[in-house]
Parts: sequence; C-alpha cells; structure tokens
Amino acid sequence: MSIPGALRREVRFSSRDPVLWLWLALVLGLSAMSVAFGLAEVERQNETIQKLIDGDRHDRLAQYDKQESWGSAAYYSFHLTYDPPSDFAYAAMGQRDAQPWMHRIRMLALEGQIHERDVANPSIALIGRFDFAFLAAFVIPLVLILLLYDLRARERIAGRHDWLEATVGQPTSFWLLRASLRAGAVFVTLVVPVIIGGMVAGASPAKWFVATLGVFAYVALWTMACFFVSSWRRPGSVIMLALIAIWVAIAVIVPAGARLAIDRLVPIPTGADILLLQRETVNDAWDLPREVTMAAFFERHPEWSEYQPVEGSFEWQWYYAFQQVGDQRTEQLSTAYRDGRLRRDHMAAWVSILALPSLLERFLQSLADTDLRAFFEYEEGVRGYHAALRDFYYPKFFRNEAFDRTLLEDLPSFKPGNPGMG
Amino acid sequence: MMLQADSLHVARSGKEVLSGISFSVDAYEVYALLGGNGAGKSTTLLSFLGFLSPTAGSVLVKHTDVYSDIAAARKAIAYLPESASLYEHLTAQENIAYFLQLAGMSASSPAIDAALDRVALSPNARRRKVGGYSKGMRQKTAIALAMLRDTDILLLDEPTSGLDPNAIDEFHQTIRSVADSGKAVLMVTHDVYGACHAADKIGMLQGGKLKGEFAAEGHGIDIEAVRKAFSATVVPS
Ligand SMILES: Nc1ncnc2c1ncn2[C@@H]1O[C@H](COP(=O)(O)OP(=O)(O)OP(=O)(O)O)[C@@H](O)[C@H]1O
Ligand SMILES: [Mg+2]
Repeated sequence: MSIPGALRREVRFSSRDPVLWLWLALVLGLSAMSVAFGLAEVERQNETIQKLIDGDRHDRLAQYDKQESWGSAAYYSFHLTYDPPSDFAYAAMGQRDAQPWMHRIRMLALEGQIHERDVANPSIALIGRFDFAFLAAFVIPLVLILLLYDLRARERIAGRHDWLEATVGQPTSFWLLRASLRAGAVFVTLVVPVIIGGMVAGASPAKWFVATLGVFAYVALWTMACFFVSSWRRPGSVIMLALIAIWVAIAVIVPAGARLAIDRLVPIPTGADILLLQRETVNDAWDLPREVTMAAFFERHPEWSEYQPVEGSFEWQWYYAFQQVGDQRTEQLSTAYRDGRLRRDHMAAWVSILALPSLLERFLQSLADTDLRAFFEYEEGVRGYHAALRDFYYPKFFRNEAFDRTLLEDLPSFKPGNPGMG
Repeated sequence: MMLQADSLHVARSGKEVLSGISFSVDAYEVYALLGGNGAGKSTTLLSFLGFLSPTAGSVLVKHTDVYSDIAAARKAIAYLPESASLYEHLTAQENIAYFLQLAGMSASSPAIDAALDRVALSPNARRRKVGGYSKGMRQKTAIALAMLRDTDILLLDEPTSGLDPNAIDEFHQTIRSVADSGKAVLMVTHDVYGACHAADKIGMLQGGKLKGEFAAEGHGIDIEAVRKAFSATVVPS
C-alpha cells in the first residue's frame, strides 16, 4: 500500500481511539496552561519594570530637590537596572525564576547590592516553574511512554499481533507508522499553544520555528526509544517499567548526580561570602588610616591622586573611595563566583547530552535568553552602568564642583541588553 | 504445490514442538490438521507464516522457502488465527475494511456485504460494534475477511469454533467452493466429522509428529478410520 494510503488508513483508525483523544486533550490543556502562565508572568514582569521605570526618574528628582551636595545626591539616589523578558521568555522562564532580573542600585559598593538577593535564594529550585520548557522536556516523554509502551503488547494480549503482522506486508513500517502517528499528534497539540503564544507575545517566527524544530527532534528521539523498547517480546507492564526507568535515569538521576559531582568538583564562593567580605571591608574602612584606603583607590584612579584626605572629618571623596575599594576587595571573589558558576554551567551543558530533558530545557532557555549566560550578561550590564555612574560623579566629587541640579540631566541611564516585548 | 513442510522441526521457548513433519497441500485441495491440544497444529500454521523459523527442515510456500522471503509468503496467504480478536470499537464492516487495507487491498462496502451475506452475519449486526458480538458472530466476520482476501492460500486455525451447526455446514460448503476455484486450504480443526466431509486430506498430528494421513478415495474419507486414529491420539499416552 502506498504511504499516503497507509497514512490515511492509520489516521482513520487512530482517530477512533478514545484513549488517544483523552491524552491529546490532556497535552493540549497542559500546554495551553503553561503558555498562559508564561505569558501572564512575562506581562507581570514587564508591568513591574514599567512601573519602576516610571517611578525611577521621578523619585530621583524628588530626592535631588532635598540635596545640596553631589555627595549626598549620589548617596540618596537609586538607579533602576533591569533585564526585560525576551519575546520568547513565556516559553522558558529559566533563570528568571531564581535570579533577580532587576535592581535598584546606589553609588555604594556594588557587589553587595548585586548579591543581596542571592542570600535569599542561594540555590536554584530543583523543580522550576511549570513552563512550556518543563512540560516539553520532562512531562511529554512520560506521555509518549504511556501512549506507546503497549503499541505491540496491547495487540499481543488481544491475540491480534501475529494476525496484523501476517496481514500487513512490512510489519516494521506498520508499527513505526502507528507510533509516529500517535507521537505526531502529541507533538502538534503540544506546539500549537506555544506558537499561538508566540504570536500573542510578538515573538519572531524564526524563534518559535527553531524551538519547534528542537521539540520535534526531541519528541522523535523519545518516540524512537519507545518504539524500540515496545517491540521487545515482554508484557506491557515490563516494557513500561523499562521506559520509565530510562526516564528516571536521564531526567532525574543523571542530572542530580551530575549536579552533586559538579558542585564538588567546582567549589564556588556563595553570594553571602561576597556580601560579607564587602560589608567587612567597608565597615573596617572607617577605622583604617585614610591613606591606606586612598592608596588602594588611586591604584585604579591615578587621575585623582592629588586628593589629600583629612583625618577626622567626613569627606564624600573618601567615603565613595572606600565604597569602591570594597568592590575591589571582593573582585576576586565575585569573579571566582561568576567563573565558577559558568564553569559549572558549562559542565552541566556537557552532561545534558546524556540527560536529554535538560538538553532541551537548556536549548529553549538559551532561545529565550533566560539561561545563565543571559543572566551574567545582565549583571555585567549592571556593573557597567555602575561604572558609568562613578565616571559621572567622581569628577564632581574630586573637583569639588558646586552642586547643580540641572547637570543631573546628564546622568547616564541604564540600557537593558534585551529589547523588551511589544 | 502451494504449501509444503519438509521434515519440519520447530522449537518454542527452547522446547521442540514440531519434530520432523512432512506434508503438502496443492491447489484445489483442502487439507485438515487434526490433533489434540498442544499437538502443534497452530505452530505448523505459524511456521508457514514466517513467525517461527525451523530448527531443521523447511517450509515452502509456492515452492519458495518461507524464511527467504517472508513478505512474499504472507502476501500469498490469508490467515485466520485461532482466537481471531477483532477491534471491539469497530463494526464488522470497519474491521474487515481495516484489515483489507492493511493487506493493501481496497474493499467496497457491497463486496464486504456480500461476504458477510455468505457467512450469514445478520445485516443489523454489521452496523454494531464487534464488542457486542457473540463468539460465533466474530468468527463469521473473520471468515468473511479471510475469503475477501482472495489469496491463493488460506490458513485457517479452528475456523468452525463457536459456529452453530448450520453455520458449520455453510462454512464447509464455502471452503469447498473456494478450493474448487483453485486455492489451497490448510485448516486446523477438532471436528472429525466436518473434516472428513470438507477435506481432501487429513493429517493426524500428535506430539509434534504426523501420525498418519487420510486421503479421500472415491466417496470421501473413511470417517471410522479417522475417528479411531483421532481417539488414539487424544488418549494420553
Ligand atoms: N507462545 C508459546 N511459547 C512457547 N511455547 C508455546 C507457545 N505456544 C504454544 N507453545 C507450545 O507448543 C506446543 C504446540 O502448541 P500449539 O499451539 O501448536 O498446539 P495446538 O495443536 O494448536 O493446540 P490447541 O488445539 O490447543 O490449539 C505446546 O506444547 C505448547 O505448549
Ligand atoms: Mg492451536
């Protein structure tokens, strides 16, 4: 029989299976739910950001009105930094669930401000949000297993297996067609909501097309696995157990084991370590001779080395200098933290070649710019912005310029890396 | 020669269940395999279908070794399994249409209806799902399907089980006319009387060995001889 004829036959046949329809309804419901949650969360984050953007300038201007020096104006001002969700973030929230995506930073020592949030959630939640990436990577394989494990065992129990094989010319392509048809129906019901979500979110078609390709390859791999295991001449329950064991191994055991091993292999300082060291450095500075602090500061800023601190009196130059020295002291630790986490992530990426669900999740997160790389890019943006703020203020401090509110219009403003949605 | 077993040895789960049987079925011929439970009748049919490769000897379908081209052998054969279980959620017509399409045939509803007429499946049952059928009704559906396949060879495993006496009679007539149109029929049965009437040859199988063959001479097969041989085979030895 020609392929289209066989296809038509099996479509008609499968469409009369009520159990298949139930599974498809379940997948459609879960997928629509995950996409709806994702879109709502993206909207909430965008609204939060928009509200803060609106308030940012207004609050700062209100502060300036009360200030009379550059030093106190800088001290009391907050500056918004934020990482808007990408147009595909609705499908894969990734690091946005675990890491801060906005800060209100001050001219004070920065590393503490960056890592303050880390203290609250030091480790990434084991099971993340129920987003599309999670659904596709972890739940869909189970649906495929339950839908395909008894592809043949069911017919064997019914006493129909040999009859079917004796009747059809090419048994292998027959079973393969049945399996792919069911898996194909799951794939379509899975991706339709995410494509509609992409249209709602205004995501570029290229993005959800690539995502869809990735999900397709993933579903195809699992279908193949189910197909091969289900052709085993064993009772359906044994086949199902074997497939679930594969799932548990690559979705749970390998990633969890790898995380333990990687964490042990690549020790990293915690955000709290950084915060603590910086607080100590900054606090100690009050008691240190000022030349010591300034000497450390001048290493970075020789252009201001003419400045002579006066012991015993409060001076903003010295105050901001020891804030910066606080950052300098923790630089090594922050870099170790960042490099360590990136190294761990890099190793996890290699492991995910074995742990396929993680591989798909990481792939979708990288498309959505919600991976660790995107998160550190944002953090670098915050550091860059803080540096720009210092570049703005330092001349005013060290040249003892008179406070001029109008000059604050030239204050650098934060430019997010990812253009926001809509 | 349509079907030929040549000192066929077959093992299942490591145990030899056919120990060197030889027989053949020609076109225009109905061959009945008789024997007690576990004698190896179904196993013999499955060997012709390419499901159980011989440990020794060979099976030929249309002069070709089955295991050298399983697909070709299966294409030449319509098979009625021992417990033909149809899809419960489909009607008789839908089941037949599906299986015919599986075999690469298209079937018109009138053709299917005609076949179902022939096995006397009541017309209003045809529109009901098979799940609500009696054993005999299911058997009739499966027989109709085997006839519609229109292959050169029919392998029928206990085709009359579950049929009422009238239906059995009808079936034997049908089988006769099928063979008379040039096809080869190999059927497994426990029905000595029926076998003697419908078959041209009877093979008596016991413990995986062919204990004797009876051929029609003049006026059919000698029922008394077959009955005696059959009782001998089913008496536990
Ligand atoms: N799937 C199987 N796996 C292992 N052994 C089997 C299998 N099916 C049958 N056998 C063994 O093969 C032998 C022949 O079985 P077969 O089904 O051919 O008997 P039969 O003559 O058709 O009997 P019946 O009249 O009960 O249908 C038996 O001893 C049986 O135990
Ligand atoms: Mg049998």
